[in-house]
Amino acid sequence: MASTDHHDEHHGISHVASIPVLVGTGGTLLLLTLVTVLATKVDFGASINLGIAMAIAVVKASLVILFFMHLKYDKIFHTVVFLSAILAAALFVGFTLMDTGQYQHTNIWDPDSPPVAPVGPRPTAG
Amino acid sequence: MATTTKQVRDDGPVNEPNFLETYKGKPLKTRILSWMLTLDHKRIGMMYLFGILTSLIIGGAFALLVRTELWAPGQTIVAQDTYNKFFTLHGAVMVFLVIIPGIPAALGNIIMPIQLGAPDVAFPKLNLASFYLWTSGALLLVGAVPFGGLDTGWTLYTPYSIETKTPVLVATSGVFLLGFSSIFTGLNFLVTIHKFRPQGMGWFQLPLNVWAIYATAIMQVLATPVLGITVLLLSVERFGHIGIFDPNLGGDPVLFQHFFWFYSHPAVYIMIIPGMGVISEMISTFSRKSIFGYRFIAYSSISLALLSFLVWGHHMFVSGQSRLANMVFSALTFTVGIPSAIKVFNWVATLYKGDIRLKTPMLYTLSFVLLFTIGGLTGLFLGVLAIDVHLHDTYFVVAHFHYVMMGSTLVAFLGALHYWWPKFTGRMYNESIGRVCAIGVFFGFNLTFLPQFVMGSQGMPRRYWDYDPRYEIYHQLSTIGAFVLGISMFVTVMSLIASFWTGKRAPRNPWGASSLEWQAPTPPPLYNFEKPVVVHELYNYDDLVEVEEDVWERRAPIDAEPAEVPGDAHAHAKDKPAHAVAVADDPTKPAAGLSSTGGPVPPTVPPGEEEE
Amino acid sequence: MTEKPHDSHEGHGHDAHADAGHGHHPPFIQHHYDDAQHQFDSGKLGIWLFLAQEVLFFSALFVAYILYRYHHPEIYSYAHKYLDVKYGAINTAVLIFSSLTAAWAVRAAQLRQRKLLIACIAVTILCALGFLGIKYIEYSHKYHEQILFGRYFDPCVSSGGVPLLTKSNHCAGHKSTVQWKDGSATAGCYQDIDQDLSKPDVQADCQVEEVRIERGKPQRVSAGAPHDCAKSGSVVVVKGDGGAYTFTGACDEIMVVGNGNTIQLDTAKKVAVKGQNNTIRGKAVDALAGDNTTKRELPKDPGSLTAVTPADVDENKEVVREADKKPITERCPDPLAAIGHGGGHGAHAGGKYPCWRVAYQPAVCVKKSRKDQHGVIVEYGDHKVRDDSVRINATCKPTPKATEPADPFADTVRTTKLGEKELRPFHRPTTHEEHEREAAGPPPENTNMFFTIYFAMTGLHGIHVLVGVLVFLWLLVRSIKGHFRPDYFGPIDFAALYWHIVDLIWIFLFPLLYLIH
Repeated sequence: MASTDHHDEHHGISHVASIPVLVGTGGTLLLLTLVTVLATKVDFGASINLGIAMAIAVVKASLVILFFMHLKYDKIFHTVVFLSAILAAALFVGFTLMDTGQYQHTNIWDPDSPPVAPVGPRPTAG
Repeated sequence: MATTTKQVRDDGPVNEPNFLETYKGKPLKTRILSWMLTLDHKRIGMMYLFGILTSLIIGGAFALLVRTELWAPGQTIVAQDTYNKFFTLHGAVMVFLVIIPGIPAALGNIIMPIQLGAPDVAFPKLNLASFYLWTSGALLLVGAVPFGGLDTGWTLYTPYSIETKTPVLVATSGVFLLGFSSIFTGLNFLVTIHKFRPQGMGWFQLPLNVWAIYATAIMQVLATPVLGITVLLLSVERFGHIGIFDPNLGGDPVLFQHFFWFYSHPAVYIMIIPGMGVISEMISTFSRKSIFGYRFIAYSSISLALLSFLVWGHHMFVSGQSRLANMVFSALTFTVGIPSAIKVFNWVATLYKGDIRLKTPMLYTLSFVLLFTIGGLTGLFLGVLAIDVHLHDTYFVVAHFHYVMMGSTLVAFLGALHYWWPKFTGRMYNESIGRVCAIGVFFGFNLTFLPQFVMGSQGMPRRYWDYDPRYEIYHQLSTIGAFVLGISMFVTVMSLIASFWTGKRAPRNPWGASSLEWQAPTPPPLYNFEKPVVVHELYNYDDLVEVEEDVWERRAPIDAEPAEVPGDAHAHAKDKPAHAVAVADDPTKPAAGLSSTGGPVPPTVPPGEEEE
Repeated sequence: MTEKPHDSHEGHGHDAHADAGHGHHPPFIQHHYDDAQHQFDSGKLGIWLFLAQEVLFFSALFVAYILYRYHHPEIYSYAHKYLDVKYGAINTAVLIFSSLTAAWAVRAAQLRQRKLLIACIAVTILCALGFLGIKYIEYSHKYHEQILFGRYFDPCVSSGGVPLLTKSNHCAGHKSTVQWKDGSATAGCYQDIDQDLSKPDVQADCQVEEVRIERGKPQRVSAGAPHDCAKSGSVVVVKGDGGAYTFTGACDEIMVVGNGNTIQLDTAKKVAVKGQNNTIRGKAVDALAGDNTTKRELPKDPGSLTAVTPADVDENKEVVREADKKPITERCPDPLAAIGHGGGHGAHAGGKYPCWRVAYQPAVCVKKSRKDQHGVIVEYGDHKVRDDSVRINATCKPTPKATEPADPFADTVRTTKLGEKELRPFHRPTTHEEHEREAAGPPPENTNMFFTIYFAMTGLHGIHVLVGVLVFLWLLVRSIKGHFRPDYFGPIDFAALYWHIVDLIWIFLFPLLYLIH
């Protein structure tokens, strides 16, 4: 439970977060929010923009979990609990997408007709 | 072993009132409030039990109405719409109100903390809140009847459930509350199992029932929230027309099925795994033989819990699911057979050369093993893609899941009810009535559902009100069986209730079982134990001697007399020196994590913490 | 929602159990726990399991999000423009800051800093309320624009994300008025017409007129000569005793100050009398104010008299009336670019202004019938910013093409006044927007699904924020009472954990909903 981080104090029955850690985490989160907004304004291509936004979100979420939620200093089992939930959610997403990713836009009343494109134009590149 | 024995009387005088009589002699109002506001897990469990038995009678009545209607082709007693409501309410009540909470919430609440040697569950107030969530949910779900009755089937499939005029909103509100009741119960049990094991009880000294409840609780916490959000979306869809499941607005009705079965397939295991847990307890006790393959059974419970998240798509083979998903889900479905078979083989191996006592719980246990095997094996048929196209939505499916849900879970529930009844009521039930009813349940059940396999494979669709006359004989056999079953179960419940007044007083350990709950007084007092618990080796019956019929006592070897350290009666898996001592009574077979001399475990070794 | 250890030694509500072995329990430890550490650890595991449950609770919505985005990226790239990144970013910052104060509150509780603890919790609550306030602004804006979920998604916007007129501005044969903005004006209304989108040739007959608005005081009328309300002012004031006055035409308001006057009128919306024994004669008066000596000789009594208030006879109040009306007959060429409407240059090219045209305006279409909406637009202006002294009135009626059934909209006549509150004047698209619109084409089908998911996700998240506010209010009370101490701060810690997960979900919602490129 006790950490080797010299910033950390162990007090009473649980880890006490130090002020530099708290403020540093909060500041970094705010900074990353700014970065993610700015990154959207630059056109890297739709999927790369999405990747950047998600990567920043994951970093932000990790900071919240590790420092605000004390998971870095907490029992390892709590990490297991949280990761199990993420894993279950990932299975949920993965299997559902595995199915619906295969959808054919076929008119079931007339299987010989060509697949129906989704109505509306596809977005232009970028 | 144990050539020299010394009687260790468990049956000392009990100074504290038992939990049923804590408020004896107080005014009626106080006594009623003492139940309604109780935080005692046993009382909450008893209230669950009462609610669940009531729901069982309601759900059973709907089942008999359905079977009566199907006695002959065409209208027998009710018209089509009413029939739709009957089978919907039968399904919804049985699934959500009886089978899912049956063993974990009722018997689990009463027994599991005592099996752990704990004074209560971790969060007693949350436990009470779960009970009231259950009650409110149950009232809403059953409340769909006066509002006109639900006719969607218990699966609430869209788009019909969006369009039907029946009170879907009332039912979904009920299901939402029931879901959260289940989540909080599971959460409570997980924390209890983690934090309230006595010192000396490591993970592999847990009774298998606790393992099963642990596995169940994992699924309750991780799967049930999805049910909550699904019925929430369905409710909003109905009055807000958000369109997420409505193809008219661009939504996807198959998505509802994914959401629904992501919960409801694990829910099937939430129903069956606790049944497997209690069966593991009973089969060992009544065979007077250590359970065969303890670790395999424990691990198979956990692996079933994990696998349950991977196979939901096998409910959707003909729902327009893609071929790829069909194949993957079909393949994964077969893996479920492995842990299930491990359990069955281990139970059978436990019976082998056992000293089998055919008490009522054991009759139910043997029924369970047979019926679960049939139910499980027919599940494999349905997991095969090509065959499922033929069998889907026929009576074959109905028979299959009744073999698992009713033939297994409900039979295990009834067996467990008889098994622990003396412990928490302090009264013995009537053994002869119990045995006759157990046999009646077994034969009635098979008479009901075996013909359904036949007519299902011949093409009789489920949920139909009318049918081709050639199926009439099967339907009539099935209906006769249903009444045999219904009467047996009704008599069972009445007999159990009557035993409150007519049953003889129960001893501490009527079955010679080895787990901790049989050390507690009968019925247990408020905090379950009046003295430090002594953890004996689980499923070892060598020291247990039947002093008279249905009264067993432990006679421990003199050289390994349990050393009791005075102190806290509520000993937990924590490094606290004043705690009671765990003792392995057989030096040749030391339990893991314990000192082989049987002496106090050094306080520096907290076995429970290690594995967290 | 969150389970926490409780503060008092309630002994399960029973009195029967008196165990000397538990005498050492401090009062905040519940009976069945060994000590503070045991209680705290149990609660902590409990809250983490609860958070795991929360992750799964939200996961279904993420599944829906990913699934629809995977299949319909066009909906997402089209529809997210309705969301204002500014609000999303502010809310992200607000939540992150509140997470910081929540985490700090835990530290304060651990270190027995009571005042700091109270301050941290209070700031957390304020941030949460601020978040909800901004959410309210966003929601109410969408409600007014009818950018809602599922069936209720029905805004009229051009495909470039340019807001147009609200959908209630149907054309069918009523008058539209719009005021000036930025030097030009557009009046218009929309019509559901099933047509080939690529060849918009909506036909409509319009009568368009430029109206000069006059503002002034009510007109003073003298006795004797008849006064025509239709021509010379419909808000009039009569002053004096015992006179006889005659009004013709429809009057808006007649104010009478004095005694014993006789008013002969045709119709009036309102007559206000200050004085005694006046007589009102006429066909119809919608509202009448005065005392009970006022005589009424009307076919239909407007009801009991309401008391006279000074406002009823305010002879100096401002009166707005339409003065000169000038019909506009010139039809604009199509496209409008031919007369150089863009950017304020060459506004008079061709001398076509003022002119009117029936314009094609693609608008979002989510209805089952998939009728595309076409605007009847009246263009007018010289690109000088004007005050509101000129209006355009347009009365349009679509003429169905010969191949179509006769007026399919005859039953959809609605009385909506353009230029009133619910109408937002047409914002002339910039060249960039025009380009964007052309690139985007008509809006994708089922754009409503984006908002279904948007409202489902942010709504559920908002409910969690609300629950967090309640939990922190409870903790605020307990902190003020001084319940927390270094060995008992579980509730603060657990509530903070809950709050962090609420923040964490928003960290994902923000880029997923607002920052779609």
